[in-house]
Amino acid sequence: MNNTLRQIFRSGKFVTGFAIFVAILLGTLIYPLIITDAPLTIIGQGTFFPPGIYVSVYDSLGSTRYTLDLGEANFNRIASRLSEEDRIAIKEWLVAAGIPEADIDTADTQKLLTQWEENFDAKKSIPGMTNAKRNYYVRLDKSIDGLLSAEGAILAQANAETGALEQTGTVEQSDFVNVQQVANVRFLPLGTDNFGRDMLTELVAATRVSLIIGFVAGIIATLIGLTLGLLAGYIGGPVDDGIMFITNLFTVIPSFVLLILISFSIGQEQRGAFTVAVVIGFTSWVWTARAVRAQVISLRNRDHVNLSKLSGHSTVHIILTDILPYIASYVVMALILQISSGILAEAGLSILGLGPKTTDVPTLGLMMNWARIYQADIQGRWWAYLPVLVTIAMVTFSMNLMNTGLDQVFNPALRD
Amino acid sequence: MPKKLQAVASLLMVFSFVLSACAPAATTVPPTEAPVVESPTEAPVAAPTDAPAVEPTVAPTEAPVAEPGGSLPRNETLYYNGQQWGAVACWNPYSSSCNNGLAIAQGDSARVTMFETPYLYNMLDGKQYPLLADGPYTWNDARTEITFKIKPAAKWSDGTPVTAEDVAYTWASHLKYETNTAAANKDYVDTIEAVDAQTVVIKAKLDEDGNAINPLLVAAYLSGNYVMQKAWTETLEERAGGDAAKFREDVAEDVVYSGPYHMFFSDETKVVLVRNDEYWGQDASMWGKLPAPKYLAHAIYKDNAAGFTALKAGEVDVSQQFNANIQDLWLKDGLPISTYLPEAPYGIGASLPTAFFNLSSPGLDNAAIRKAIAIAVDYDTIIANAMTNQSATFNQVPRSVMNPTAGEQEMYDQAAVADLQWAGKDIEGAKALLDEAGVVDTDGDGWREVDGKNLSYVATCPNGWSDWQAAIEVVAAAGKEIGIEITTNYPEWSVYQTVVTVWPLPEADYDIFMMWSGGAGPTQPWGRVRGLIGGEFAQTTGNWNGNWGGYINPEVDAIIKAIPAETDAAKLKEMYTELTRIYLTEVPSFTLMYRPQVFHAVNESVWTNFPHQDDGTNPPVPPMLLTDGWGIAGLYNLTLVEP
Repeated sequence: MNNTLRQIFRSGKFVTGFAIFVAILLGTLIYPLIITDAPLTIIGQGTFFPPGIYVSVYDSLGSTRYTLDLGEANFNRIASRLSEEDRIAIKEWLVAAGIPEADIDTADTQKLLTQWEENFDAKKSIPGMTNAKRNYYVRLDKSIDGLLSAEGAILAQANAETGALEQTGTVEQSDFVNVQQVANVRFLPLGTDNFGRDMLTELVAATRVSLIIGFVAGIIATLIGLTLGLLAGYIGGPVDDGIMFITNLFTVIPSFVLLILISFSIGQEQRGAFTVAVVIGFTSWVWTARAVRAQVISLRNRDHVNLSKLSGHSTVHIILTDILPYIASYVVMALILQISSGILAEAGLSILGLGPKTTDVPTLGLMMNWARIYQADIQGRWWAYLPVLVTIAMVTFSMNLMNTGLDQVFNPALRD
Repeated sequence: MPKKLQAVASLLMVFSFVLSACAPAATTVPPTEAPVVESPTEAPVAAPTDAPAVEPTVAPTEAPVAEPGGSLPRNETLYYNGQQWGAVACWNPYSSSCNNGLAIAQGDSARVTMFETPYLYNMLDGKQYPLLADGPYTWNDARTEITFKIKPAAKWSDGTPVTAEDVAYTWASHLKYETNTAAANKDYVDTIEAVDAQTVVIKAKLDEDGNAINPLLVAAYLSGNYVMQKAWTETLEERAGGDAAKFREDVAEDVVYSGPYHMFFSDETKVVLVRNDEYWGQDASMWGKLPAPKYLAHAIYKDNAAGFTALKAGEVDVSQQFNANIQDLWLKDGLPISTYLPEAPYGIGASLPTAFFNLSSPGLDNAAIRKAIAIAVDYDTIIANAMTNQSATFNQVPRSVMNPTAGEQEMYDQAAVADLQWAGKDIEGAKALLDEAGVVDTDGDGWREVDGKNLSYVATCPNGWSDWQAAIEVVAAAGKEIGIEITTNYPEWSVYQTVVTVWPLPEADYDIFMMWSGGAGPTQPWGRVRGLIGGEFAQTTGNWNGNWGGYINPEVDAIIKAIPAETDAAKLKEMYTELTRIYLTEVPSFTLMYRPQVFHAVNESVWTNFPHQDDGTNPPVPPMLLTDGWGIAGLYNLTLVEP
């Protein structure tokens, strides 16, 4: 046994796959210990906040202020609110408003903005201008209002009695706070999803659920396949014919179609994560059964099996002690593949809207489904689906890699 | 499969899942009376090709006459999305199942591209403007008869004039062949008669006191229902041989119409209407010119995502679908796309998607529990997340039975019910309410009980109606906060619609369920209140009208009955305020968001001068896709960006 393990861990492919898998597994186990939020809590009011560090504006006003005189500050501020395209658009407007083109210098911010302030009129109708463009100019006007002001912003509070605003402080342009000292800061490494949930927390929880679904489905499929394969292969005769008849039936029906039909007929009320896992398991045992049967047939007439028979051992005993150990390595490999295809099957089902119920648990497939419904894919919200895709890919990739590694160790035809 | 390929294959598989997805995303709620006429969630019947079958970029300057089914000159064609799902079934307005999104939609703001109504409803000012009719209609003193004249200029497509006899015969045919139009109106409209060639008199059904049963609905008939040609109807009758079903199911490709457009081409990939250059409306007594686009075209998209991609690419000019985060199209992508309002909520809210309580569920017969759930819900999150801010918030427009339009908001006394209006997320208030009502958690398991049983409900809406689903998720989350277990469930629409429209509702799985309310129309807000709390529809079967939770209150019914005959504005306001007060106290249902009558986003790559806020039109052109009600006036204002 030790020797086998040593051999296995000498296979580079297996080790790589194993390392990836363990890393993912540890991630799903350790992360919830650090971030204890419930994965389905809605924290964001709005959809698809981009990844980043979110700092409470309100709390940062109350934090210790530091004055930093950065040379770039003004330039950055202007650039963030007035891009090159904006400058060109301003020029277009000014030309349309009758300013000679020679008088306009898009590089001279001061002059450009003065001209803009003097000439812009939201109500003015310019021939050929679309409403979308007009809206753009109105937004631009609002955005660059007071852009060159050197004054700070005034903080004011409404007087409880009169309702009049009373100045309570100012914020200078050179005021900074240290993020460490702000009371409320939330790091959202993968932003939020369409419900306003923390993507990373959800992703970790979903990976865990998907792994469980994969394990349950894989174990069920392997158990069914193994049992039927062993019985058919060892007992043979009418039992073999009967089992193979059923197996062949299932072989010709594409299992994913079967899966869709069963999931649909179960109805959403009953579709918990566990049910989905069981359904997947019950539709994907076919190839395991066939392969196990083939292996058993080749073992059935070996000397040690015949010896066992002569010794009067029961069929169950022979199967468990004289046959199973010889195909154990194959079964383990089959199990790994079943797990990985179980995870894929769940993702496929959920994307068709036939996965587990949404509110109970997150799964990788459900996350993809919602991201797609809210058009994250065509609106460029990569953080809502790409990490999920990568996770699914890494999980299945690592398992396939482990499988290939095992194959090299156990399959004499492939052994170096 | 060789094992080495498996890793690659599994990757490919994942990506292919993304590409192969196919559930339509958002929903359109059909207006009140009629059962679902068009609904994007009904999965497309035919599977069209992947790429939209339009020829977007080619814009020949000197366009030859397009062949039906061939490519259309881009600068003479206005492209739509979100109106037509699946192939057109017929061109027969007597039918209710033509699935003909560009040409046929009768209702509060009837679609008048091909067929026309006597009047056009304008949801922005609430008035009805004459189309086939000549000048405003008049009531007699007893408010039992409406008289109006037909425009002398109005002509059918075969050149014959539209007459009063056509109007009368249309109604007679509806009655004779038991169409949906007849079913919806025959309790209120008695007869329609032609006094002379131009003059029409509509007589209302009277109650025992000799008053019209419902003058509001009689007047609404004028802008909601098409006028059909008598001669063509007779042809159709002959063809049907007196068989009502055949009459209603006729494909009617030979139909005679009065509107500016007619059928040009239709198959399972697209539908095209072409302008009738002989259209009578170019007469000075109506528009004075022809509408700008020569063709109205609608490629049939697989789902919302496909339609959205086409809008982005400039292959669609007018979009009637829920596009999440639409503002990104101009803020981030810098596309020439805009909506009626430049800022959130981007459109004019008209209807009130509402969650109904099944009042026969244990515990939900208690108003305190109903109200507790309703005030605990976080509506700001629903509006920001589910609707991506395409709805006014309940702080901006406090809840009532009114939609957010200024006209309706003026019809009740907000100050009088201000202390009843909740903005939501009031967890403490909800808990206090429950404690006060004696609904407490006695066994310490975290859930409150009634009669020793934990309060546990299922909140539901149709599967794939994404904004509703997201909203229902938020409702369920609120339950947990106040010790009431709420789980969610999303049956398919085909199942859902057969359950919620039948009384009694099932004992499980439909405790809190979403349906819609009336949008904007000439009978509103009366029609909406009737649908929300009117006893008329409560506990009935085959109910497509409202009050699906089964709320009955004789006091409410008396007011609802009295409103249509009331003409005194002050009294009306009093009545509506009282109805609002009862609605907000009893909470038989609660509104989750405001929703526009139709979604209306436009891409100004080719056409411009679409209706938008403060666009200077008078009367204002509503954002109704340039096809519905007074919204069609917008078609006459369109200009090309590059003429």
